[in-house]
Amino acid sequence: MASIHLDNVVKRYGAFVGVKEMNLQIADEEFLVLLGPSGCGKTTTMRMIAGLEEPSEGDIRIASEVVNGLDARDRDVAMVFQGYALYPNMSIYENIRFPLRMRGVPKNQQDALIRRAADMVELGDFLDRKPAALSGGQRQRAALARAVVRQPQVFLMDEPLSNLDAKLRASMRVQIKHLQRKLRITTVYVTHDQIEAMTLADRIVVMSRGEIQQVGTPDEIYSDPANTFVAGFIGSPPMNLIEGQVHSGRFIAPGIDIAAPGHMHGNVTLGFRPEDCGIAPDGQAGLTGTVYGIEPTGDSTFLTILAGDKQVEVKAPRDFRAPLDSCASIALDPARLYFFDSATGQRMRSTQ
Amino acid sequence: MAGRTTRGESLWLRYMVLGSWALVCLVPMLWFLSIGLRPRTEIITPQPVYWPTFSLDAWHALWSDWPIGAYLRNSVLAVAGSVVIDLILAIPAAYSLTRYEYRGREDIGFYILSTRMMAPAIVAIPIFFLFRNLGLLDSVWALMLVYAAINLSVVTWILRSYMMDIPKELEDAARTDGASDLRILWEIIIPVTLPGIITAAVIAAIFAINEFLFTLLIASTANAYTMSVALANFTGGSDGIIYNAIALVSFLAFLPIFILVVLIQKNLSRGLTMGAVKG
Ligand SMILES: Nc1ncnc2c1ncn2[C@@H]1O[C@H](COP(=O)(O)OP(=O)(O)OP(=O)(O)O)[C@@H](O)[C@H]1O
Ligand SMILES: [Mg+2]
Repeated sequence: MASIHLDNVVKRYGAFVGVKEMNLQIADEEFLVLLGPSGCGKTTTMRMIAGLEEPSEGDIRIASEVVNGLDARDRDVAMVFQGYALYPNMSIYENIRFPLRMRGVPKNQQDALIRRAADMVELGDFLDRKPAALSGGQRQRAALARAVVRQPQVFLMDEPLSNLDAKLRASMRVQIKHLQRKLRITTVYVTHDQIEAMTLADRIVVMSRGEIQQVGTPDEIYSDPANTFVAGFIGSPPMNLIEGQVHSGRFIAPGIDIAAPGHMHGNVTLGFRPEDCGIAPDGQAGLTGTVYGIEPTGDSTFLTILAGDKQVEVKAPRDFRAPLDSCASIALDPARLYFFDSATGQRMRSTQ
Repeated sequence: MAGRTTRGESLWLRYMVLGSWALVCLVPMLWFLSIGLRPRTEIITPQPVYWPTFSLDAWHALWSDWPIGAYLRNSVLAVAGSVVIDLILAIPAAYSLTRYEYRGREDIGFYILSTRMMAPAIVAIPIFFLFRNLGLLDSVWALMLVYAAINLSVVTWILRSYMMDIPKELEDAARTDGASDLRILWEIIIPVTLPGIITAAVIAAIFAINEFLFTLLIASTANAYTMSVALANFTGGSDGIIYNAIALVSFLAFLPIFILVVLIQKNLSRGLTMGAVKG
C-alpha cells in the first residue's frame, strides 16, 4: 500500500535546474508512465523517489510518510536502472538473489522466487552466466528480473525494455502489466516508446525540460492535449501544427481557410491528427496542397502534403496512391480540430 | 620457403623479439645464480672462464655461517604483514575518497599522496626515536609498521583509481536492493576491484622487500635483519666482500617476487590496463 507524493520538488545541479517545481500525486497501485524527450528529467525524478538523489527543495512522500533524507535501502523500492547495473562479479542467479539476501528473505524461499523471476523474463537457461557473457537484451532482462523478484512497495523502471526486439518487447510488456496488476504494486515507468506508454499506463506524465506538461490517462493525453508540446510529442506521426491567423471567425494559413470558434483572434496554431483527416471527395476541402511524399506502411498509407511551406501528415487508406506534386484536397474533421495560442503554446478551448 | 605464411613469419618474429627481451631481463638473475654457485677464485679471476665449475659449497656455507633462515623469516613476515595492514587501511580509505562527498576530499587525497614525496632521510631520525620510545627497535613488528606506512599512499592511490572506474549506478543498485555501505564494499567493490587490489599488493610487496634505509635504522641483529640489509653485512667484515653470499641472497630475494608475478600475471596485466581505460 503505497501512494507517492511529490510536493514542489526541485532538483538543481549547480545553476542548472534538472527538475522544476514538480507536483505529482501517484495513487496506490497506479501504473504511472513518465514520457518525454531525452534529458527532460525522467531519470532524475525516479532517482529522487528511490532515494538516490536528494531533492534540492520540496518533499517526497511514500505511503504518506515524508521520506526526504531516508536512505535508499530504507525505502522499500525496487528499481530497474537505465544502464542495467548488474553486479559483474556475480552470476545472473546471484544477481537476482542479491535483493532477497539483503532484505532477509528466508533461504528456503529464495530459489523458487529466483526461478520464477528468471522464467518470466525467459532467462531460465542463463542463470549460471556472468553478466559479461550475456547480450544487451539479456542483461536488460536480468536487470528486470532482479527488480521483480521481491514485492516492494514501489517499482521504478527506467526504460526496462529499450534494448529488446519488437516481439520480446511486446511479450515483456504484457508480463509487466500482468505482474503489476497481480502484485498490485505502485509503479513508475519511463519509456520513449509511445505504444508502451499507451498500453501500460493508468496515467501518463508528459515532461519537457524538467517541467510537467500534462498529466492524464492515455486517452486524455492523446485526444485532449494541453499544449503544443504534448500535441507534437504524442502520436506517431504526431499532430500536425500549423501557425496562422484568425480573423472574423476564420482560421487562415497557406492552403487553409476554415471556420474557427468565435471568441478567437490573432496568432493561433491549428492542430489536427493525421488520422483525423482524409482525402476530400469533392469541393469540400479544408486544406489544399501538393503531394510531397507517400509512405505505405502496410495497413495504411501516410501522405506528406506541402501546404505553403508547411509539411502536413495525413493518414490515407492503404491502397491510396497519387503522383508526386499532384494537387491534394484534404478534408478536416471539424470536431477534431485543436487550437492553441501561438504565443504561449497553451490550448484555447472553445467555450460554446 | 614457399610453405611459410606471412602470419607464421610475423609470429616467429614476435617470439624472437619477446624472447630476446626476456633473456636480457633474466640474464642478470641467472648470472647472479652462477656467481653464487661457483668457487670464489673462479668468480674474481679476470680471465674468462669457459668451463665453469658449479658446486653448492657456497650455499651450504651461507646457511651454516649466517642466520639466513631468520633473515628470510623477517623479510617474509614484515613484507606480508605490511601489505595486509596497507590493504586493511587503504581499501576503506580509497572507497571514501571515491564515493563520499565531503569538504576537502581532494585535499585529503593529495595529502596522502604527498607523504610519498618526502625524502625518507627527513623522517629517519624521528622514526628512530619514535620506535625507541615504543621499545620496538630491532623488531619485525616495527618493520611491518614502517613498510606499511611507506606504501600506504601508493596502495591507496592505485585502489582509488580502480574504484573511480566502477560505475556509480552499480552502488545505487545495491543500495536500492537493500545493501548497507559495508555490504556494498564487501560484496561489490572489493570483488570488482580485485585485480587492482592484487596489483597494489604486489607493488607494495616489491617496494617493501627492497626497503633498506629504515630497516638498517631499526634492525640491529638477526631479530629484525631482512634479506636486503643482510646483503650489506656481506660487504664488510673480516672475510672481505663475500660475492657468493651476495649473489645467493639477492637471488633468494628476487625469487619469491618473480614467482608471485608469474602466478598472478594475468590479473596484473589486466589490472594495469583496466585502471587506465574506462569500461
Ligand atoms: N549529476 C548531474 N549533474 C549535472 N547535471 C545532471 C546530473 N544528472 C542529470 N543531470 C542533467 O539533468 C537533466 C535530466 O537528466 P535525466 O537523466 O533525468 O534525463 P532523462 O529524462 O532520464 O533523459 P534520457 O531519456 O536521456 O534518459 C539532464 O539535462 C542532465 O544533463
Ligand atoms: Mg534517463
